[in-house]
Amino acid sequence: MNTVNNEAVVDVYTQLKLDFAALTAKSFQARLNKFVENKTPIVACNDDFFPELFTAMELPYYFSVRQGLEGAFHIGKGPEAVDGYSELGGSSSLCSLQKAAAYLLMKGMLPKPIAILMTSTSCDAQTAVNELMSNYQPWADVPRISVDASFEKDEASMAYLGRQWMDCIPFIEKATGRKLDLDRLRDVCEESNKQCGLMFDFQELRRAAPSPIRADWGFIAYMTARWAACGRPEATAWLQRLYDATAQRVKAGLGIDGVKEKIRYAWFDILPCWSDKLFPRLEETFGAVNLMDLYGFNAPWPVIDTSSLESIFTSLAKRFLIGNPMTRQIFALSSVYGNDAVNIAKDFKCDAMIMPSHVGHKDGSASHKIVKDMFREIGIPFLVVGCDVFDERYMSPDVVFEKISTFFETAGLTGR
Amino acid sequence: MGSGAKSSVFEKFLKAAGDITNPSLQAFKDNGGKVIGYYCPFIPEELFIAGGFLPFRMRGTGSQDTNLADAYFDSLNCCFVRHTFNQLLSGKYRFLDGLVIGTGCDHLRRIYDNAKHAAHQTAFIHLLDHPRTMGTPEMNGEPMITYYRSQLARLKEKMENHFDIEITVPRLKSAIKLCNETRRLQKRLYDLRKSANPLLNGVETAAIMMAGASMPREEYNQNLRTLLGELDNSSASGKKYSARLMVVGPAIEDPSFYSLIDDHGGIVVIDDLCFGARTVQNVIDEEAPDPLRSIAKYHVLDMPFCPKINGAHVHRVSFIKNMVDQFRVDGVIAQGYVACDPWGTSFALLKESMKEAGIPYLRVDRDYLPSQSGQLGTRMQAFIEMIGGSI
Repeated sequence: MNTVNNEAVVDVYTQLKLDFAALTAKSFQARLNKFVENKTPIVACNDDFFPELFTAMELPYYFSVRQGLEGAFHIGKGPEAVDGYSELGGSSSLCSLQKAAAYLLMKGMLPKPIAILMTSTSCDAQTAVNELMSNYQPWADVPRISVDASFEKDEASMAYLGRQWMDCIPFIEKATGRKLDLDRLRDVCEESNKQCGLMFDFQELRRAAPSPIRADWGFIAYMTARWAACGRPEATAWLQRLYDATAQRVKAGLGIDGVKEKIRYAWFDILPCWSDKLFPRLEETFGAVNLMDLYGFNAPWPVIDTSSLESIFTSLAKRFLIGNPMTRQIFALSSVYGNDAVNIAKDFKCDAMIMPSHVGHKDGSASHKIVKDMFREIGIPFLVVGCDVFDERYMSPDVVFEKISTFFETAGLTGR
Repeated sequence: MGSGAKSSVFEKFLKAAGDITNPSLQAFKDNGGKVIGYYCPFIPEELFIAGGFLPFRMRGTGSQDTNLADAYFDSLNCCFVRHTFNQLLSGKYRFLDGLVIGTGCDHLRRIYDNAKHAAHQTAFIHLLDHPRTMGTPEMNGEPMITYYRSQLARLKEKMENHFDIEITVPRLKSAIKLCNETRRLQKRLYDLRKSANPLLNGVETAAIMMAGASMPREEYNQNLRTLLGELDNSSASGKKYSARLMVVGPAIEDPSFYSLIDDHGGIVVIDDLCFGARTVQNVIDEEAPDPLRSIAKYHVLDMPFCPKINGAHVHRVSFIKNMVDQFRVDGVIAQGYVACDPWGTSFALLKESMKEAGIPYLRVDRDYLPSQSGQLGTRMQAFIEMIGGSI
């Protein structure tokens, strides 16, 4: 299509959303359901923990973050789960997402896995839930492994994590009854390389002014490539369609439908579950467009070197430590988050940067000054919010809106 | 001391624990000695001692507020971290020649970032990456030991280059022996508390333990030997206690916490604390040819760990039950800081384990400063009365 009709393109995105839902249902949810019905193998693990391996072994898996998100917050049961966890004696300071996941676990609402695979990242809350999962009595007979992820990110550290995981293959094979086929793993990894490449290229398109689409597409692209259908050709095709449609919008100079872009900013943390109560309002009131979030982040994903089993696992470790957003940003020096935020602000021509500082991200709460000083140096207005991106009762979307409004006004970004 | 005797050695320990600096540390500095501050028992003091340094375990003693640290840390961050960082910024730690921080938790490792960013940084600062899981029994800790050894070797090399020193194998072995001696002496100190009327109460023991991480080690060991000799010759305390207690959780630096227990007729006879019994249970292999590996192994496998280490809960429960038996404990008090996810979660699990074992259990969340002492005192009193009856 050489010329772009705005309406037609909107239809493309509607279809992409429907297809994303179908892809998730087919690739992810259906396998989980099959487990529940037929007791086929399942594993529980951390977020983004070597998903290529699970696809290659056709292992349905789930992880606490996703269960907290989809099993509670996205069906409106988040507050109930958060409060329920506290009543069960859990830590009051724990991230709401992990509280919800822990609640589902402790109330017996998560399917019993055939194996538990854990790693010591990406935050205290995640590892705390790992410990809960390990000591949950009804799962006492479930075999488990716990591998150590280095805080260091040098070559030796990547090899350290990769080697531990590789050494766990016999364990996983024994626990699940599935064999790992190296050729199949290589195929999946090569497909995954294509997906990560497309995801990066797509995210680069969002540098355009006006921004061609809303920031949540970055997260959807991430979920497709990493959570829903990692290494599956149908996900590659989906990402290609997303890229093509967005490239056409950029070429045609189209911005977000119905928004006259006046302020460009980035919300550099997880997109809130209450996004619909904040971002459209900022668009309508100020023409303020969010360009980027933590999971839609445009870091280049390390390419998996498929030349040997060892190189594959070392590459997967690299992906986990420096590609996976939570581990990259949270389980790293403050300067990594700060530099990434500064680069986004510069590359995406941001007028302002917002650090939501989700209350569960204690590492972020301890990085405000460092990041603020970095932004002062480059002269881009910077705001720390301090909200709970999952539980809006902590700070209501109205209050967040007011904070951001005042910030925009004080920074002289309104009335342009 | 519980018997009422206050030897000069004991006064020395109390003084060292009651302030950040102390005369022994000052004398060491005056003689040209260098001091390295470090956080967490995961960081091996042996490495510093082998380099000729005095290892000083960081604490916030004397802190009244976090005004300076608040520019760097949010109120959602751990109060221990904020108070110690405040002391660092206020110049209380001016005597440090270096600072080593571990990667244990989200709060603690940000001290490294912020200390580097702050104007008051020490000349030498290092973030030591240590394993955060024990792995699984089949692994036998092997990958973690090898990794931690490599990180210790890196720290060693960095210190050697920065301070122009050499940390040799014989020096490391000698440092291991010295620190093992401390562990054995401190264990003897704890063993004295198994008696029906312990000579030392909780605050006194805590002071002696904290002093150990603040003084030149040879001097500390010698003083502790002297004190143990004095205690051996002392008559049992005549004081009656209505409940023998174990406290569990992160470090307790504030003596008034123990007073809340003492005031209501209880006595802490054993603990699972950062400055306490956790560090005296085992010793490091003195004979192995590779002392760095021995040190790594101890810190990966042999210590009773705090919940920052995944997989440690089972061992913690077993350690607590063992201590409850050995020290004839009537109840366990789990105390922690509000913002601590690892301890907070561990306490939820511990509650169940204690219930199953039939061990009375009280959980209290607290701040670094004893601002809630009235409320805490009431809860302690109720707990002590419930398990031991009033005296």
